[in-house]
Amino acid sequence: MPSFLYPPLVWGLLLAGLPVLIHLINMMRHRRVRWAAMEFLLVSQKKNRTWVLLKQLLLLLLRAAAIATLVLAVAQPLVRNELGILFGGSRTHHVVLLDDSFSMSDRWAGTSAMDEAKSVVQRIGAMAQERIEPQRFTLLRFSQAGRVGRDTQPDMLEETVDSEFTDLLAAKLHAIAASQSAAGPGEAIHSIDQLLGESDDENRIVYLISDFRARQWDQADDLRNQLAALAAKGVALHLVNCVDRAQPNLALTNLAAASGTRAAGVPLVMEVTVENFGDAPARDVPVILEEDGHARPAVKFESLPPRRAVTERFLVRFPTAGQHQIIARLDSDVVAADNYRFGIVDFPVDVPVLIVDGSLEAQDARFLSAALAPGAPAQTGISPRIETPRYLSLNPLDAYQVIYLANVDRLDESAVEALEQYVKAGGGLAVFLGPRCRATIVNEQLYRDGKGLLPMPLSAPAELLVDRVEKTPDLDVTDHPMFRVFAGQRNTFLSMVNVSRYFAVPDDWRPAPGSTARVIARLRNGAPLAVEQAFGEGRVIAVTTTAAPVWNNWATNNPSFVVAIQEMQAYLARRPAATKTHLVGEPLGLQLPPGKYEPKVRFTTPEDDGLGSPSVDAVPSPDGSLVASLAQTDTSGVYRAQLTATDGTSEVRQYAVNVDPLEGDLAAISGEQLASRLEGVPYDYRQAAAFGDEGPQQAGYNLGTALLYVLVGMLLVEQILAWSCTYHPPNRAKTAGGGAA
Amino acid sequence: MSDANRFLMPEAIKRIARLDLRARHVVEGFLSGMHRSPYFGQSVEFLQHREYARGDDIRDVDWKVWAKQDRYYVKQYEEDTNLRCTLLVDVSASMRYGDGHLSKYEYASTLAACLAYLLLRQQDAVGCVSFDETTRMTAPLRTKRNHLDSILKTLDVSRPEHKTDVLGVLRRAAERFPRPGMMVLVSDLLVEREGLMKGLKLLRSRGHDVMVFHVLDDDELDFPFNGPTRFEGLELPEHLACNPRALREGYLAALNEYLSEVRRGCVGQRVDYVLLRTSQPLDAALAAYLSNRLGVRHRSRGGRR
Repeated sequence: MPSFLYPPLVWGLLLAGLPVLIHLINMMRHRRVRWAAMEFLLVSQKKNRTWVLLKQLLLLLLRAAAIATLVLAVAQPLVRNELGILFGGSRTHHVVLLDDSFSMSDRWAGTSAMDEAKSVVQRIGAMAQERIEPQRFTLLRFSQAGRVGRDTQPDMLEETVDSEFTDLLAAKLHAIAASQSAAGPGEAIHSIDQLLGESDDENRIVYLISDFRARQWDQADDLRNQLAALAAKGVALHLVNCVDRAQPNLALTNLAAASGTRAAGVPLVMEVTVENFGDAPARDVPVILEEDGHARPAVKFESLPPRRAVTERFLVRFPTAGQHQIIARLDSDVVAADNYRFGIVDFPVDVPVLIVDGSLEAQDARFLSAALAPGAPAQTGISPRIETPRYLSLNPLDAYQVIYLANVDRLDESAVEALEQYVKAGGGLAVFLGPRCRATIVNEQLYRDGKGLLPMPLSAPAELLVDRVEKTPDLDVTDHPMFRVFAGQRNTFLSMVNVSRYFAVPDDWRPAPGSTARVIARLRNGAPLAVEQAFGEGRVIAVTTTAAPVWNNWATNNPSFVVAIQEMQAYLARRPAATKTHLVGEPLGLQLPPGKYEPKVRFTTPEDDGLGSPSVDAVPSPDGSLVASLAQTDTSGVYRAQLTATDGTSEVRQYAVNVDPLEGDLAAISGEQLASRLEGVPYDYRQAAAFGDEGPQQAGYNLGTALLYVLVGMLLVEQILAWSCTYHPPNRAKTAGGGAA
Repeated sequence: MSDANRFLMPEAIKRIARLDLRARHVVEGFLSGMHRSPYFGQSVEFLQHREYARGDDIRDVDWKVWAKQDRYYVKQYEEDTNLRCTLLVDVSASMRYGDGHLSKYEYASTLAACLAYLLLRQQDAVGCVSFDETTRMTAPLRTKRNHLDSILKTLDVSRPEHKTDVLGVLRRAAERFPRPGMMVLVSDLLVEREGLMKGLKLLRSRGHDVMVFHVLDDDELDFPFNGPTRFEGLELPEHLACNPRALREGYLAALNEYLSEVRRGCVGQRVDYVLLRTSQPLDAALAAYLSNRLGVRHRSRGGRR
């Protein structure tokens, strides 16, 4: 049974009885003629009775059928797939995928993209309710699509559309607002495909209601494949765009600590980045800052060029150790979610540093220690500890932020192994060479043909000849964080450094193409002075001369040594976990060392402040530690995890969860661009405002036009048949003339 | 069509109520503009003198004029005809049909009256029989001009009724008018074909010149009916409710077959046959009569010599 676009018009089929009625009326009011030539009439009647009856019956049927066809053409029947017609039980399933990423909160002229989208959903519901055949409805928001560690949570799943459906839908939609997630359509399409399976017994219509931002659709090969797969299954695709133009938007895209030592009472440089996603420059944009809930002077961005990100620095200083919150906020614009950025900075009481010196006098270690912790009033928060190489193999190294090796001749095998473990796990290692070092031993233990900690092999100690003619500085530094502080100015302190002796590297040594080794400072003669490389998650810097003024005079009355060592310390220091960026929607994982904490972890989300906060049981991970994971990270802000140690003390860890700043890029793609991205996929694309204007667009082939053609054909046949059944008087004048002649 | 003929159209004639006036109107209208009859003969009424020419009958020479003027003149008289014409007019029920202008009955009686007027004007003897299944009324053969009244009375039937028995009527007419003359049958001929042919044959065998004016209505010839109609027989008891559009072709086929059969039969009997529509001007009928009479005249003259 086909459905109709205008079902009430089907009653018009009763009009098909009209010709029969007219015939009956005519039969009743026929005229009477007293006729003389009955004889011929009777003959004719006898001869033509059957054929005439047949022809007239045919004419009657044709006229009735023509009226019925006209009525049907106006009512516009819709025919479904062949299976649906065969079984007569074809039902329609409306699957609405609603984009609720925070770019949908885009506001303009009293409405927002989300409001438009909700109105479209409401219209779909209303249209579905008007249908006669069974209808089902599924509503899934992008943010509720299945992800790692979380099931798909549709707002409606195969809900039967009945008379109260629109009220139910309105109530559901009322509770829905744009989320802070940056979820794209891909997960939603994938989830719904898995959730609903094959669509053999129903006509499935998938509505993708989104803002079609360029970010998600520029590289749309995956999406195209997903949609093409859906279309190949016979699913009708309707793409509804809820925004008609991109609006300018500013977003806070980064808030993080710059390099530098973190310790209580020590000023820390923070960086805040604002990106202008609009096409016009912005001027004098203030970023309001809060430290632990207290307002502090705002940072002002003088100029933000279009489609560019600008970073400004500011100093924070917390007198106490522990985790501290920093919140940056922009003035409100069209999208609110990306105007906030949360940061947690972990300030330890002090920064433990291990200095291992090979000589008993520990001359190098003392110079390094003095440079790292010069003492009051210059607070650095670093507490160096000087040890012999034996310490490395006997004690755990994890607590140290950076380990310095100075003038070490030989290490135990276990010490090398412990050091490699430490650096791989994210620790920093600085190696200073000296008179005690032997090239062969160092190469064998630390370089290991490029697999070891040392970024370069050594050949032998060499003299740097004093050049009295040319006044070239002995140090030639590159643009590296360690030396960046000296960049841009003619630094006389650095030029006063004289290096007399150093460990040369083989002449033919160059960093291997795939390796991360790079020379960050050279001597006057081009020999490497400092070489760095990444090792696992940590970093290693090797300096080919001594730390103490034995082979050089750097540490003697030259403040640039202290600055360089401080920068090196900041560069190599282990990255604290709290600075890792967590995104809204991603599960918040917490790794606990085994045996130290109770497995129950209580999380506090930014919204609830302790009441009804979810409690998560930590589960053992393959490496033996416990992992607690919070999946519901739907809002940005500071999350707290309350841990209970096995000794009964409780501990709170804080995590900053931020929105994906790229979602704030409101650049949208046009219908034509979308068509080129989705080439070969049959779909219907329209603006939200235009959706549903031309009446319900349902699955199925509309027979209206075809019926009109049939009607024209029928009317032609009817005319011919009627003409053959009718008397057409000849031209009277002609006959009269003929008669007279 | 000339101006005079304008008044011969059935529409015009219908407005004239009295049959004698109708006849006069038609005939005078028809004759106006025509030359007088070129036939001269023995008659009581003198017409004119004419100079003698070779070949004229010496008996016709007016000797009194010769005596006065010494010239030969012949006297010419209006012809004293010996034509006896009997009008047989069908006044059966089927003649009642007519829609719009004249009914077949009216047309037939007007035609008969016109012919009678014309004949009497020309000193011919005219008789008249109106009939249906039997002879209704009869007017004997007379030549006097006031005989027209009695002929008109014969034609004046208040309401045509009854069926037609053409064979019986023709037989009786043959008995009634035994001397050979002219028999003019005015009818719609919706009768049994065999009887008609037999009757015509009988008349011919008695030496009559027979002329048939077949009067049919336009509706009967064209069958222009549309829409559901119930046909009720005027003479036959049958009736038929039908859509006439569907039956038209068959009807016309049957009609044409009938007409050609009648025409063939008449030609075979040497009977002059004229088919007349009631919408046709009456002068056509008169012209047909006159040309026929010319033939009769030639025949009769040829016969006398």
